Amino acid sequence: MSSEPKKDCNICPEWDCQNVNDFKNVWVVGEVDENGISEPSLQMLTPANKIASKLNTKIVGLLVGYNVKKYAKEFIEYGADEVIVLDDERLSMYSPHIYARTIAELAKKYKPAVIFISATMKGRELGPYVANTLRAGITADCTDFDVDEKTKDVLLIRPPFGAVLLAYIKTPTRRPQIGTARPNVFKLPPRDPNRNGEIIEEKIDYIPKPKARLVSRKLLPINEVPIEKADLIVSGGKGLGNVEGFKLLEELASKMNAAVAGSRKAVDMGWIPHEKQVGQTGKSVKPILYLAVGISGAAQHMFGIREAEVVVAINNDPNAPIFSQADYGIVADYKQVIPALIKEIESLKKQL
Amino acid sequence: MRIVVGMKWVPGTTSVRIDPKTGTLIREGVPSIVNPHDMPAVELALQLKDAYGGEVIALTMSPPPAIRGLEYLIGMGVDRAILVSDRVYAGADTLATSYVLAKAIEKIDKEIGKVDLAIFGQETIDSSTAHIGAQTASWLDWPYIYYAHSVKLIDNNKVLVERVLENAIEDWEVEMPAVIGTHMKALKPRPVRLINKIRYKVEKPIVTWTNNEMKLDPRCTGLKGSPTIVAKTVDVPEVPRKKIVYKPKDGEDAAKWLIKTLLEDEKASKAIIKALKEGGGK
Ligand SMILES: Cc1cc2nc3c(=O)[nH]c(=O)nc-3n(C[C@H](O)[C@H](O)[C@H](O)COP(=O)(O)OP(=O)(O)OC[C@H]3O[C@@H](n4cnc5c(N)ncnc54)[C@H](O)[C@@H]3O)c2cc1C
Ligand SMILES: Cc1cc2nc3c(=O)[nH]c(=O)nc-3n(C[C@H](O)[C@H](O)[C@H](O)COP(=O)(O)OP(=O)(O)OC[C@H]3O[C@@H](n4cnc5c(N)ncnc54)[C@H](O)[C@@H]3O)c2cc1C
Repeated sequence: MSSEPKKDCNICPEWDCQNVNDFKNVWVVGEVDENGISEPSLQMLTPANKIASKLNTKIVGLLVGYNVKKYAKEFIEYGADEVIVLDDERLSMYSPHIYARTIAELAKKYKPAVIFISATMKGRELGPYVANTLRAGITADCTDFDVDEKTKDVLLIRPPFGAVLLAYIKTPTRRPQIGTARPNVFKLPPRDPNRNGEIIEEKIDYIPKPKARLVSRKLLPINEVPIEKADLIVSGGKGLGNVEGFKLLEELASKMNAAVAGSRKAVDMGWIPHEKQVGQTGKSVKPILYLAVGISGAAQHMFGIREAEVVVAINNDPNAPIFSQADYGIVADYKQVIPALIKEIESLKKQL
Repeated sequence: MRIVVGMKWVPGTTSVRIDPKTGTLIREGVPSIVNPHDMPAVELALQLKDAYGGEVIALTMSPPPAIRGLEYLIGMGVDRAILVSDRVYAGADTLATSYVLAKAIEKIDKEIGKVDLAIFGQETIDSSTAHIGAQTASWLDWPYIYYAHSVKLIDNNKVLVERVLENAIEDWEVEMPAVIGTHMKALKPRPVRLINKIRYKVEKPIVTWTNNEMKLDPRCTGLKGSPTIVAKTVDVPEVPRKKIVYKPKDGEDAAKWLIKTLLEDEKASKAIIKALKEGGGK
């Protein structure tokens, strides 16, 4: 599909020579599941919009799979200017290996300057495979993207070690520039049913046989609001001391209609599941109210609540670092405060 | 089964310090450890060996101090270890790191014996890109399966891998050779055993491969083989917070103060009243 690469440039012979000016457009890879295009991949249209307008180029959605063409219009309504569809029965079964090779083939043909992939669990397995097949750079779990005004390189911004420094990463000599971001780091753009755009149907001759085959899939029931979407969060840390402490938090949360979350230490103790961990290696949340109970305020934890509107801390150590990073702090033992708070909430509810 | 397991030697700290002059991380004086998320990968490899026989080879690309990490893994029961180390590998991003690891796996395959599986951890604690597994698979053109919880041999050249995603549990049949990335919560690692430590002292089953042995084109490794560069780093800006701290008389006083304060806070009060009206307290 791609023309024979020139070998006269002085780079690793495993790479093909490139002229970065040949590359244009911002691609967003659409992950399709039982319910259509996944929301996290549509969220990537938000940074795509920012970068495409700074580069003065188009946003192209990519749909690869079987029976996926029907979603192209939805992609456009959320912000894609164009959608490339590769709808092929041979792709009816998802395989990271095959999907990645297919996406890479299309990228070799169309030469996008940028590819954004949502860092869902599938995206985290697919993204680096795509990047490597193209011998391109990839920057993981970005929290923001920008454009270097002088060179027009995309700046891929990620929180590195310790969550105290942001690294601005770029790939000045290679294209495409590939970046991933965790779900809910960016907002879903508004849907506009009047938006129109071109849908390009692609074909591919050779699709290798997958070497990995899905033989069974059990959906896990998800009936709770994911913490990334909750308006109120009650969160517990190591300071709760035991799983009973979490039971108390759950009671408070259910009275307030809040979600329950926790620190990494709480997850490590087995008090709550990993998908409720807040922080650099957990989730970034943006509630209106974040109530942190028995959490010390480590940088890696606080990184996950940068966008919380109001932060409340309950901690019995007056020197806990969280007090200088919270709006309202209470120096007390949670065992005394939480039961009293449950009562107060109940009586407040009666007055409403 | 011959299994290669990846290990990264990382600074083992939760509190990093920043050099106020240069703005860079101070890594000196911070003791290093085996990346904790590699432990389930090592344990999985050892369990497969316990069940089906064969050997487990630990592999790291790193400056020489990582030998201490390899020693630890041999203490757990890993048969031998390979340190791939050369100045021309320094400054590698994940593309260049995975290139060297993939070439090392090919060399093991050719010189030591056929490799059936390469197992990596979910991610590292220092830069946690979670790229290396998929990228190594891509260089080798092997299938890759991530977030593995358990692995069973189903015939001579296939394994059944169970993995846990956000919303599903999946079973995959994967042809070997393959690359597997483990879930960080998959397995509890076994402790180091004295007998293995003695074996380490007596046999020293660790070899170092420099680029004299690896014979890679230096344009494909280290900084030269890395498309990504860190253009700059900046402090994460501090979020402005009110920082009002209250020392209550007792729990009731605390609860009353907090409710009053939150109801006076415009943003918080709206959200709380909305939530209470929507009905909590099922
Ligand atoms: C690479 C890396 C990534 C990380 N990612 C994350 C992450 O995503 N999320 C995360 O949370 N952490 C993360 N961490 C860990 C982080 O550094 C901290 O270790 C962790 O956040 C601490 O959890 P904690 O506040 O619950 O526990 P601790 O730091 O142990 O704090 C417990 C607090 O509870 C208080 N306390 C004790 N008893 C009571 C009581 N009776 N009433 C009230 N308060 C009480 C104590 O005063 C103390 O302040 C990461 C670390 C690294 C190195
Ligand atoms: C702050 C910071 C940010 C960075 N961001 C990026 C980025 O976005 N993109 C990029 O390409 N590079 C990035 N790098 C470079 C990257 O850290 C190195 O390439 C690193 O050697 C491998 O990446 P990782 O630690 O994220 O490994 P991961 O991919 O998270 O590791 C997964 C598993 O691979 C195995 N593994 C990892 N490294 C080795 C090794 N050296 N030897 C053997 N096995 C190993 C382990 O089993 C590990 O559990 C960054 C570096 C820093 C310091």
